[in-house]
Amino acid sequence: MNNKEKLEGIKCKKCGYFQHISHLRCLKCKNDTFDIVEAKGNCILLTYTILHAPPMEFREKKYYILGVVQFENGMKAFGQICPKENLIIGMKLKPIYEKVCNDLDGNEVYGYVFK
Amino acid sequence: MREVAIIGVGHTKFGRLNDKGLLDLLCEASLDAIEDSNTSDTDFDSVYVASMLAETLNHMTGVASALVDRIGLLPTAADHIKNGPASGGSAIKNAFYAIASGACELVLVSGAEKMTHVTLPGGVTSAVATMTHHNAERIHGASLPSFAGLLTRSYMEKYNVPKEWITSIAIKNHRNGVNNPYAHFQKEITLKKAMESPIIADPLQLYDICPISDGAAAIVMCDADIAKKYCDSPILITGVGQATDTHIIYEREDLTVLNALRICSKQAYDMAKKTPNDIDVFEAHDAFTILEAIQSEDIGFFKKGEGAKAAHEGLTEIGGKIPINPSGGLKARGHPLGATGVAQVIELVWQLRGEAGKRQVADADTGITCNFGGFGNNIVSILVERM
Repeated sequence: MNNKEKLEGIKCKKCGYFQHISHLRCLKCKNDTFDIVEAKGNCILLTYTILHAPPMEFREKKYYILGVVQFENGMKAFGQICPKENLIIGMKLKPIYEKVCNDLDGNEVYGYVFK
Repeated sequence: MREVAIIGVGHTKFGRLNDKGLLDLLCEASLDAIEDSNTSDTDFDSVYVASMLAETLNHMTGVASALVDRIGLLPTAADHIKNGPASGGSAIKNAFYAIASGACELVLVSGAEKMTHVTLPGGVTSAVATMTHHNAERIHGASLPSFAGLLTRSYMEKYNVPKEWITSIAIKNHRNGVNNPYAHFQKEITLKKAMESPIIADPLQLYDICPISDGAAAIVMCDADIAKKYCDSPILITGVGQATDTHIIYEREDLTVLNALRICSKQAYDMAKKTPNDIDVFEAHDAFTILEAIQSEDIGFFKKGEGAKAAHEGLTEIGGKIPINPSGGLKARGHPLGATGVAQVIELVWQLRGEAGKRQVADADTGITCNFGGFGNNIVSILVERM
């Protein structure tokens, strides 16, 4: 998991619908060919929550912030939000690749957080 | 399709039941439902058991096989139905089609969960969070309460709704739960106390969130043509619907819309030839207060953005325009995951039979449920009527 993963989505070659990279067929038209699109630049905060009752893997933190962000090309992502105060819907954030937790098997898990 | 009737119900107390295991609870509710149905020693054609976390929390597989053995129903066919917190609704849907198709005549549905023995901090939250999308959500620390927090913030911003309106749903459900002897909490709470309770997933607070509960609920269903042989007041299931939505919640065009509920409730209304105006009572899936507000909109009772306002204005009280959760809902009755969808239907059966005591909705003829799986990505609606 230490090799930096790209923050990518897929765009349907037939209808142009943009979706998460895990889909094998298009949610809109069932086509199975896509262009990979990389998230570029900054993103904006769409919504967030401050979670004070984390799942087991995240209990070393007393609380953390989770949010949905959107990049200029329309791609959305979900992850931890780093500014702890003065959060404003629409504020600009930058994706940073780093360790997010140890999973229940003790493995280090990496992903994007938004700072 | 044949018509399908409910002829018996069984419901254990919900709450912290330290001296009972998962199988004990399933047996208790099942035997009570069989007794209530007056089917005595008649053979069943099929048994559907709903439990979401038997393997994870109770280290048990094969719960359906174990149940039929323990309550003397061998060699009846038995299946374990798992659809997250909508397992109960899914089990009823499967039983409905088994009877409606003509394949089965007499069927038992039993749902249960045993959760309160888990003492590891975050243990139940982690087990439930396995429903979320692994790469897009789970590894970042997502949990069901975190999604409810996101949804609450989005709803409050989009529709300019004060938090008090949303939390008033918990106050109403606790008030209803006082009169439900099976409820986890039979205690009123004040809006002041709820608004001062600890933040769990900002802006959601402790009193916006259902408890972790033990409990079981069971129903006996049969071909409506033979229902009166067993029961003076059978209740018909006339509408059933189920639909799915995106696994990743941010892939929904509007986070505040439960598209799966719009679709599955329309299926149930259409099958029963009913509209929202025909419904006398609604059992919602208020795992979080915001969900009752949004479900009351997407199932057709209120315009988008007006569900929390309606609750605040008293329209969803017993005696209001559309009574919601006279049982106390998940907030007060409790939420033993696999039991919930069955318990919702049982509350409607009691309401339609006129057996709901101090929480009775006057002249209730028709009711509907929303049993919410995942975070709205797999929803079941059941519509029932007096025969």
